[in-house]
Formats: sequence, C-alpha cells, structure tokens
Amino acid sequence: MAENGKKKRILIVDDAAFIRTMVKDILVPRGFEIVGEATNGNEAVQKYMELKPDLVTMDITMKEKDGLEAAREILKRDPNARIIMVTALGQEKMLLESFKIGVKDFVVKPFEPERILSAVEKALA
Amino acid sequence: MKINAKYVNPFIEAAINVIKQVAKIQVRRGHLSFKAKPEPSFGVSIIVGVYGFLTGQVVYSMKTEVAERLVEKMLVGKSPEERKVLYIDTLGELANMITGNATALLNQHKDLSLNITTPAIATGENISITLVQKPTLVLGLYTQYGPIEISIALEERDVIDEIDGGEGALSEV
Repeated sequence: MAENGKKKRILIVDDAAFIRTMVKDILVPRGFEIVGEATNGNEAVQKYMELKPDLVTMDITMKEKDGLEAAREILKRDPNARIIMVTALGQEKMLLESFKIGVKDFVVKPFEPERILSAVEKALA
Repeated sequence: MKINAKYVNPFIEAAINVIKQVAKIQVRRGHLSFKAKPEPSFGVSIIVGVYGFLTGQVVYSMKTEVAERLVEKMLVGKSPEERKVLYIDTLGELANMITGNATALLNQHKDLSLNITTPAIATGENISITLVQKPTLVLGLYTQYGPIEISIALEERDVIDEIDGGEGALSEV
C-alpha cells in the first residue's frame, strides 16, 4: 500500500521465521515495505525506536520480553505507534489486555492472508 | 494419579483446525491412551510448556517423514533449501499454534491466564529431553502421511495446591 508514492513501512516481530516469512509474503506483493524484523520483545522496542515504522505486527509468546510487554513499552514511548498483535494465544484476557494498552487489532494464528491484510490496512487508515 | 479428560477435546479441535488450515490436509482422530509421563513415541518431538491455572507440558511427536511432509505442505512455493532452513522453526510454530488455539478453548475465563512457552524441538533417536513427571493423556491423530501423537500432561493449579499445600510450589515450566 503506497500513499503519495511512499510505501508504508512495517516491522515484523515474531520468534518464528515461518510466521515472519508468511507475513512478508502477504504484505510485500501488496506494496508494503518490510523495514525490519525482530525475534523478541527487547529487539522489537529497539528496532521500533531505530526504524520508526508505520506499523508493527507483534507476536505475544517470545523469549526475553513478550509481545504485550514490548507493545506496552513502545506505546509508552510513542503513543501514536500502530501495533497489531498476531498470536496463537486467542484468549479473551489477552485480547482485552491488548486493546486496553492501545493495540489496534488482534489477529489469531493461523490466519488467512486477507485477515492480516485487512488488519494492517485498517490500522493504517 | 489424577487425569482430567476435559483437556483432550480442545487439543483435538485445535489440532484438526490448525493442521487443516496451514497444511491443507485432513486429520482424523485416533486412539486415546495413558502414560506416566509425556514420553514421545516417535523421532521428532516438539515440547510446549503450559503455565497459569493449568500447568505442565504438551508434547507433539511424529516420524521424520511425517514432519518433512507437513513442513513441505506448510511451505508451499518455497525451495528445498528454504524448507531445510525453516524446517525446525516451522514444526515449532505448528505446535505453538495448536497449543495456543487449545488454550483459548480451555480458558473461557476473562480473569484467568494460560500462557505457553516457546516450543523446544528434539529430533533424532538419541536426544535427551526434560519431561515433567505428570500423568499424561495420549491422543493419536492420523494424517495421510502417518500418525501424530499429542501427549497432554496438564494439571489444574488448585489440584497442585492441594497436593503441595500452596502456590509457592508452582513455577513456569
């Protein structure tokens, strides 16, 4: 998705290369630019501050720092950050907690490509 | 020894749905049996820890040929080299998705959490893995490539509290 010829920049955070590859394969052909990847919450916060992406897709279950902690920290530093949780933990408590801290959407793995795409487009609108 | 059969259906439902969606193959439910601990029967094992109001491990086990075919189906369009690089990671993510989806079915409470650890994968015949010593329900699933065994060694936290006399005995798996 390019606005005024400028591609929207995405940071993918997931400890599984399989999911990072899937998300990339969905978004790149649709005109998004993957500016970075992170495999844990600490890396996610660091790369967010470095790269200032337009949107982050964030896993929850990761070593060192989980995705909810990382999202909380990013949103504390940048309240305008756009974050979508992409997780296998589709529990109501996780969903409520995610929206409470300011996350834009909550996608449960496994997902259809259209679900990721619509979550990203909606969050960037 | 206390085993709760209500943990089985969420894993059956999650496994069938997840495998069908990511590998585009059908899965059939097989036998149910019991073991003293979640010891895997086949050469490829994926271990996921569970903690929260339930605690323990879930161990997925299959033959190498089954694992390779599943990964091939999950990575359609990728080259053999890419599949080789992503092999372990893809199996781990499969177990992560099944366990994560099952926890959502097991946890219908707004106030309780059920978390899982990142998967640990063991391949080969002589790998030693650390397993919890908990009574285990063993669920057999059948795919066109061969069986997948899911060993569910979970206990409710209040059961453990009763046995151990307090929450202090609990720790992340």
